[in-house]
Amino acid sequence: MTDRRRHLFLLAPYAFGLTALVFLPGLVTFALALTEYDLIRSPSFVGLDNFRELWNDAIFERALRNSLHFAAFGVPFRLVIAFGLALLLHASFRGVTLFRSAAVVPTVVPEIAYGLLWLWFFNPLYGPINLFLDLGGAPERTFWGAQLPQWLTNGADARAAIVVMSLFTIGELFVVLLVARQAIPRALYELGETEGASPFRTFATLTLPLLAPVLLLLFCRDTIFSLQATFVPALIVTNGGPPPYETTYVPLFVYRNAFEYLRYGYASAATVVMFVLTGLIVLLQWRIYRRWRMAFSG
Amino acid sequence: MARTLKALALVVLTLALGTSCGGSDSGAKGNVDFLVFGDPEELRAYRNIISEYERRNDGAHVRLIEASDRDDLIARLSTSFAGGSPPDLFLINYRFYGQFASKGVLEPVEQRVEDSAAFEVDHFYPQAVEAFRWNGELTCMPQNISSLVVYYNRDLFRKYDVPEPRPGWTWNELVDVAAKLTKNTDGKGRYELYGLGIEPSIIRLAPLVWSNAGEIVDSHEAPTRLTLDSPEALEAMQLLFDLRGTHAVVPTETDVESEDDESRFMNGRLAMLFSSRRSTPVFRTIESFDWDVAPMPIVREPAGILHSDAYCLTKASKNKDAAWSFMEFALGEEGQRIAARTGRTVPSLRSVANSEAFLNPSAKPRKSRVFLDAIPNIRHVPTVSTWPEIEDAIEGELEQGLYEGVPPEEVARKAIAATTPLFARAER
Repeated sequence: MTDRRRHLFLLAPYAFGLTALVFLPGLVTFALALTEYDLIRSPSFVGLDNFRELWNDAIFERALRNSLHFAAFGVPFRLVIAFGLALLLHASFRGVTLFRSAAVVPTVVPEIAYGLLWLWFFNPLYGPINLFLDLGGAPERTFWGAQLPQWLTNGADARAAIVVMSLFTIGELFVVLLVARQAIPRALYELGETEGASPFRTFATLTLPLLAPVLLLLFCRDTIFSLQATFVPALIVTNGGPPPYETTYVPLFVYRNAFEYLRYGYASAATVVMFVLTGLIVLLQWRIYRRWRMAFSG
Repeated sequence: MARTLKALALVVLTLALGTSCGGSDSGAKGNVDFLVFGDPEELRAYRNIISEYERRNDGAHVRLIEASDRDDLIARLSTSFAGGSPPDLFLINYRFYGQFASKGVLEPVEQRVEDSAAFEVDHFYPQAVEAFRWNGELTCMPQNISSLVVYYNRDLFRKYDVPEPRPGWTWNELVDVAAKLTKNTDGKGRYELYGLGIEPSIIRLAPLVWSNAGEIVDSHEAPTRLTLDSPEALEAMQLLFDLRGTHAVVPTETDVESEDDESRFMNGRLAMLFSSRRSTPVFRTIESFDWDVAPMPIVREPAGILHSDAYCLTKASKNKDAAWSFMEFALGEEGQRIAARTGRTVPSLRSVANSEAFLNPSAKPRKSRVFLDAIPNIRHVPTVSTWPEIEDAIEGELEQGLYEGVPPEEVARKAIAATTPLFARAER
């Protein structure tokens, strides 16, 4: 068997799964976006009506803005934290395995259980977060005098809560960055030390450029992920609120329209918009990266 | 992710619901899948009915499929209809059955009821039966007919020397009582006791509007818009919002998010709560204080809102006769007695509603007759197919009115703007 055939053979199961579970449903979603379909009766073709309705739908606009907000805040924070942890925990020292495990564990907790746990954490009166912030402070004030966060009743705080929840499920980012950091030859750092480079200079001229391709890949991947990852937190913790739709993200909008209001065609159109938007964001990131790399290498 | 969820839901439901729809035996024999949602106490009622039914009918098997909440039930139903394997039977509130009835997936039961030896349609309260007529045809059969009542903590009334509510009490009296039972002894921080709990939703507002001689929609049969901007409705909305804004007798939004009203009542930190019969089974677990129910207070004229769930038979059921046989038992004297004894239902069958099974004076609430006395004044909200969306859209606006102090006029304007297209899209 030639190398090419062996590769094709090994890729076949994945390609089959990808086709059956992603490409075909994706195509069906594109087709259903052009129909009125209630999951029960046959779909009827309506052309671009669903997209026109979405264009004028204030709730969808809100959901889209909320999703972009989550990506804009969640992705950089998640990457920075995962990167920081990878740099801290790449070396061997006593107990490092425990710390690495701790960094990964929240990612493997079932999403519903994770959501319920945070629902308790964010409880405005009895949750541990506000109880801690309130220690020694005046009633409803933090110990430094600010108003206590209203995690579930204030729009900005609720959106922040959803971002905070996501900051602990960074296991995949962490593992990839840890491996990438460990793959950098030790000799390069020894050379830097010999030449008297400061830790910051070593980081800026050695670690960061060498890990940049991995970081970009993770940045793109996490952007795609973040536009979908709000579903369970928004459903379990905030239920899309507080009003008016402060934490209704596109996945929750799609779910409600498809399965609670039986507007599957309309929900498909919203999914298509999200898909196109995700593609555009990733394309933009890629172009910025290419410019940055050209400038760096030039 | 949403796509994956849809696909998974379809696969799981097709597998779960499809496995036992094979038989086509007539009568009670064969498997019946029955989809419901509810609290553990409520589910116990259905399990009791099923086990008694199976005990009496050799070869009958009813499988209870439990959804976690109403949204989950609707998602399960819609995906199972799409997958071609819906449950044979399901239980749903009249406010939510329209979206299925309008799509023609429910088996009308008019003829089966006429042919039934177990009961006649006249044996049921017409207020509940009429809510399940779709274009004049009886589509589902109601199991209960609750109205909105005021649950109250008798110990707190005694402790603070407040007279218990009497029949015919007014809204102003309710506010006075709630004010006397709202306590913040240290004058700062959190209130240790609130007088009243009420959720800002259309099913709480509607009876207030009706009691104030107003309407919530322009036409009950073919509604095209909300009429919350009428003087009567605006007044009623102001009464609701004043509970927080002016009188501060209901918990704040933060309080509610920290502890829902039902839990607050059970923990003795809420003196009164607007709710339907649904709360009774869980309140029967209260051991630390005595409680009872009072009628809905009157603004100008008596009014109540229907809370009713019905058994619906699906057209795609492969075992309709067996499913109907179970329905007949559950809706008949024996089935309704079993459900009533658990405290969950106000029986839709008049004979059982007026029997010891429901009015048992040794079981709380002692004044269960309050539920029956309210029935003549009970009304129901429209059952158009888009009603679930309409309720969701209104709820957000009412929350803003109750907790954020948004004036009724603005709440009405926004609610009407958000819901008019939904009425236009509705199927009737």
